[in-house]
Amino acid sequence: MSNNVAICLFGSSGYDAVAQGVAGAGRRLAGQLGGAVNAVIVGAADEAMVSAVAAVADTVTLLDQPELADYQPELCLAALQQVCRQLDPAAVLLGSDSASLELTARLAARLGGSPMSDGTSLSVADGAIRVSRSAYGGKAEAVFELKKSPAVICLRARGFDPAPETGVTTSVDRVSVELPDEPPIRIVERHEEKREGIPLEDAQFVVGGGRGIGGVEPFDQLRQLAEVMTAAVGASRAACDEGWVPPSAQIGQTGKKIAPDLYLAIAISGAAQHVLGISDAKAVCAINNDPDAQIFRHSHFGIVEDYRKVVPLLIERLRVLTT
Amino acid sequence: MNGADATREIGWNISAIWLMYLLLIPTLVVAGYGLWSRIRLWRCGRPAVRFDHPVRRLGLLARHALLQVRTARQASAGGFHLMVFGGFIVLMIATTVVMLDFDLHTSIMKGRFYLVFQSLIVDLFGGLVVVGIVMAAGRRWIARPRQLVYSKEASWLLALIFAIAVTGFLVEGWRIAATNDPWAAWSPIGKVVAALSAPVMAEAALRTAHAGGWWLHLLLVYILIAWAPFTKLIHIVTAPMNIFTANLDGYGRGLKAIDFESETPLGVASLEQFSWKDLLDLDACTECGRCTAVCPANTVGKNLSPRDIVLGLRSLMHGRADELLGTLGTTPGEKPRIPVIDPDTAVAPESLFECTTCAACLEACPVFIEQLPKILDTRRFLVMEEAEYPQTMADAITSLEQRGHPFPGTRFSRVDWSDGLEVPVLSEMEDPSEIDVLLWVGCANALLERNHAIVRSVATLLRDADVRFATLGREERCTGDPARRIGNEFLFEQMAAKNIQIFEKYGVRRILTCCPHCFHTFSNDYPALGGVFTVEHHTTFLADLVADGRLRPSPSSRRKITYHDPCYLGRYNGVFDAPRELVRSTTGGSPVEMAANRTNGFCCGGGGGMAFAEEPPGQRVNRERARQAVDTGADVVAVACPFCMTMLEDGATSVAGNHELVVRDVAELLRESVSATENTP
Amino acid sequence: MRILVCMKQILDPDVPARDFRVDCGRNEAERAGADLVPNIFCENALETALQLREAAGGSVTALSYGTDEAEDVVRKALAMTADEAALVTRPDGPAPDALTVARVLAAAARKLGEFDVVMVGRESGDWGVGQTGGLLAEELGLPMVALVDGAEPADGGLTLRRQTDYGFDVVTSHGPVVVTITNSEGNVPRIPKTRDVMKAHRKPLETWSMNDLGVTADEMVAEVVGLTVPEKHVVCDFVEGDSLDEKVDAFARRIADAMGTRG
Repeated sequence: MSNNVAICLFGSSGYDAVAQGVAGAGRRLAGQLGGAVNAVIVGAADEAMVSAVAAVADTVTLLDQPELADYQPELCLAALQQVCRQLDPAAVLLGSDSASLELTARLAARLGGSPMSDGTSLSVADGAIRVSRSAYGGKAEAVFELKKSPAVICLRARGFDPAPETGVTTSVDRVSVELPDEPPIRIVERHEEKREGIPLEDAQFVVGGGRGIGGVEPFDQLRQLAEVMTAAVGASRAACDEGWVPPSAQIGQTGKKIAPDLYLAIAISGAAQHVLGISDAKAVCAINNDPDAQIFRHSHFGIVEDYRKVVPLLIERLRVLTT
Repeated sequence: MNGADATREIGWNISAIWLMYLLLIPTLVVAGYGLWSRIRLWRCGRPAVRFDHPVRRLGLLARHALLQVRTARQASAGGFHLMVFGGFIVLMIATTVVMLDFDLHTSIMKGRFYLVFQSLIVDLFGGLVVVGIVMAAGRRWIARPRQLVYSKEASWLLALIFAIAVTGFLVEGWRIAATNDPWAAWSPIGKVVAALSAPVMAEAALRTAHAGGWWLHLLLVYILIAWAPFTKLIHIVTAPMNIFTANLDGYGRGLKAIDFESETPLGVASLEQFSWKDLLDLDACTECGRCTAVCPANTVGKNLSPRDIVLGLRSLMHGRADELLGTLGTTPGEKPRIPVIDPDTAVAPESLFECTTCAACLEACPVFIEQLPKILDTRRFLVMEEAEYPQTMADAITSLEQRGHPFPGTRFSRVDWSDGLEVPVLSEMEDPSEIDVLLWVGCANALLERNHAIVRSVATLLRDADVRFATLGREERCTGDPARRIGNEFLFEQMAAKNIQIFEKYGVRRILTCCPHCFHTFSNDYPALGGVFTVEHHTTFLADLVADGRLRPSPSSRRKITYHDPCYLGRYNGVFDAPRELVRSTTGGSPVEMAANRTNGFCCGGGGGMAFAEEPPGQRVNRERARQAVDTGADVVAVACPFCMTMLEDGATSVAGNHELVVRDVAELLRESVSATENTP
Repeated sequence: MRILVCMKQILDPDVPARDFRVDCGRNEAERAGADLVPNIFCENALETALQLREAAGGSVTALSYGTDEAEDVVRKALAMTADEAALVTRPDGPAPDALTVARVLAAAARKLGEFDVVMVGRESGDWGVGQTGGLLAEELGLPMVALVDGAEPADGGLTLRRQTDYGFDVVTSHGPVVVTITNSEGNVPRIPKTRDVMKAHRKPLETWSMNDLGVTADEMVAEVVGLTVPEKHVVCDFVEGDSLDEKVDAFARRIADAMGTRG
């Protein structure tokens, strides 16, 4: 086993905030281990991404066989398994997108290592890799020591600083791997919601609605408000389970974890599982007609009123204030 | 002329009077068949014990069938009903007198008796019938209040009775005119008819009219008798029957016990699964609509209508009579034979889960129909057999199962309310039997922050009065009341059994509750499961302490206070005065009363699991009650229940123009007042 | 179709924060009278399984690995109309790590027979690490699809609906497969009927220990070496005003400030 750190990125995402965070975490960890950063890019990647990665990693392995162009779990797993076996790193880092979440445990098992998810910080102690993450629905902070090698870890990537450029542009290794002919599982259709507005995790401002919103139509009001605030719209699990918003809008322990400059929680009770998703927000404010609502314990400022009365007035006021 | 000879010729001017007797036969046969056709339907219902305590039951009859105490609550309707009722009683006595005289030759219809009773009183009461019907018609056709059922049958019945009364007076008048009756003055109305007819009708015409009118009158009466059992007029027979077989145990104990091992289904899904008393209820209904008029859910615009549930079930029973009869002696099958629950009717699942179980309908019904138990029976089926009921209530039930309280998401534990108070806990005491009373906190008090102040006030007052008390601390788990009211009887019995075990473990004898729902359940529901304790609510307990001088409030508050009767303390358990005493002890004067108070109190909207439900914004019972409180001009609404507290505080914030109304528990008011005394040198 | 659902019992995630305490010696949350409940995603998995059975026919088996109290979870599964249940008990003690759990579940699954699909929750409400499903798939030598919220029968396998970051995928599978389930409005766990609750208590329950299955806990993938409760320092500033307009105005100004856009 080497002291290197492999970072697994998906070509289709480009060198986005997630990739940057993973690379940054990789560089820090590699430094603590005294090893190198081996970047692995799966799927077709454009020039910009490849060169950006080449500027921050020590090696770059590109897996751009046509079968790997779109994410297919069995193929991707086989590919990463082979490459990582060859690289024999001490740790494999990934982002927390749905594909990475799907692959982590299986990749770790096949490499004989330890999987972990939602890491917010990494450290090394006596040669063992330790991962910090939240636990108990956000009520606690846990530190896990990973016992087997390599450590295969999904990261809450946006929380890590991007990697510095090495000053050297490494060469890119295009590698062909053996892929199973007829994998037992295949993604046959991909449906993406029409992405209106700003993606939740990247948004600088976010407006969230909860169970107190009461229905599908009232969410339109929140969208209007979000527009005025140039914000993205998210929701608590309760609102998603009701079907008022798609699951992709869910913010929380199982949902998006966001880090906006401002998060406005509307008619959200503030259960720990939801708060976990906004714990990195710089400022939190809330509208709720229950003065005892949990959300106020996590808010910097708030208003105790029925949101139905507040939001229309708020839209007007903000229109004036933000022009 | 000698009054002692006063009389009239019975059957004057009527020939072939034997025809009257002849026509009576088919009339009675039809009427009898009509009655029997209903009776045999009721017999298809399940057994019920309703003939015990006959003396008490006769007492009910006297109060409610004769004196019609409840009917009188709506003054105008009660008034004209008594007129018609009283009129008919008197007229029937008069007819009996005629029969005694004519058929049994007792010759009692003469002299002073004939003049005073048979002529004068009968005339006046007959007149009352006319007045009463006219008033009823005015209400039905002109005023048109919402609570009535506007059927052709009802209008025809009014017309028929009116016609009977009018033809009666016409016949009497024409007789008086044609015979120059010397005693006419004793039949004032008949005399008026005579006076108006004589100038325009010759004797022959009078005789013809009289005979014709007599037979017409007879026919109309016979039609009424034969037809009545097929109409709501059957209440003449069924209402007294229903009152006699009423539930004597109080509203809370009208729920059926379930044998989980053998009973199928749990609750009621098919018509024949109701008891015979339930089915008798359906035929006792007079369509007066009072139950719906007082229903808090209906008042705020929800679909729930107790009247329509009863009438809907009645239609079902009559419309599917043959099938109902076919169920006699059979066992319940997989599917209900005569499904009671139907989303397109008044017995729709949505409506059933709008009920707060406040029992206002039970209190309002002049003939003691039990609307609420039918709602709960069908709820039980939906909850326990079908698991089809509002998700929010299901979440409360799941929380009861998993956590022992119905408030998922609360950030409080059972003991947080007592921070800093050092309240003794039974599990930590050397000798748990060394207490005067167990203070039972209740979930709504422990887990909703606003209500901590209520229990703290009670605990502090108990301490001030040197009452030795302790709580169960973290061992306290819900009484199971929400489960029972929502309809999950199984879970209720499980929770009650566990609580009874804990009480027995600690040798608990006396329980002091801070919530009327806990109070009601311990007092009324636990004994049947083996848990018999002395149970008090904090209002009566504290009122006794004040009366004994162990607590000294100073009646110095200048605030204008109105008191809201919690349904489960007031209407269900008859505690009205103790809380008012407590208010009085703090202000020196009685609380201002809302129009709907005491047994006619208007629910806060929190009972029956509704505290856990989500209501459409325009249909909130608590807002309506808050508005009623605001309308009294009071500064403070005093309550005695944590659910009422929560509901009214929420309701008060949305009453337009209200910024000042404050909601306080009577214990909080008392505590403030006692402190004021202590701080006064 | 034979469906296996693995379910975990956890400490009530709704334990009020003030009651939540960490046992520093054992590096896990203190039990302290809190209730144990079925993990919600495991119930979503059971619901998905029951719906699949309704569509495809077959049976649903509920399996749990936990202390004796975990029997409540599988009994509730039976009450929700699962056909059979099995329980692997462990003594009260520190929770086993994901690999041990996966090995135990795999051994129990093999003992229970051949399954067409194994469903587990995507993660648990306590640790939330979410790796057991994948490790279980590898132990069983089966493929895995994650974040599924719906499953329908298809020729020779299943059609699965899988949630992605901005939508969903349709996935086909052939042959036995492990699936981790996430929540959606379509798999809210059904409310058990009382009659089924009563029957559930009388149904037979296979109970095994780790030894019965021949599994030893000699390998771990992860160990908790630290567990703390973070301190909260936020105090909410409630806007004030005599009228709704004033309050909203104050609120709007605060928002604009926080957005850094106030002119």
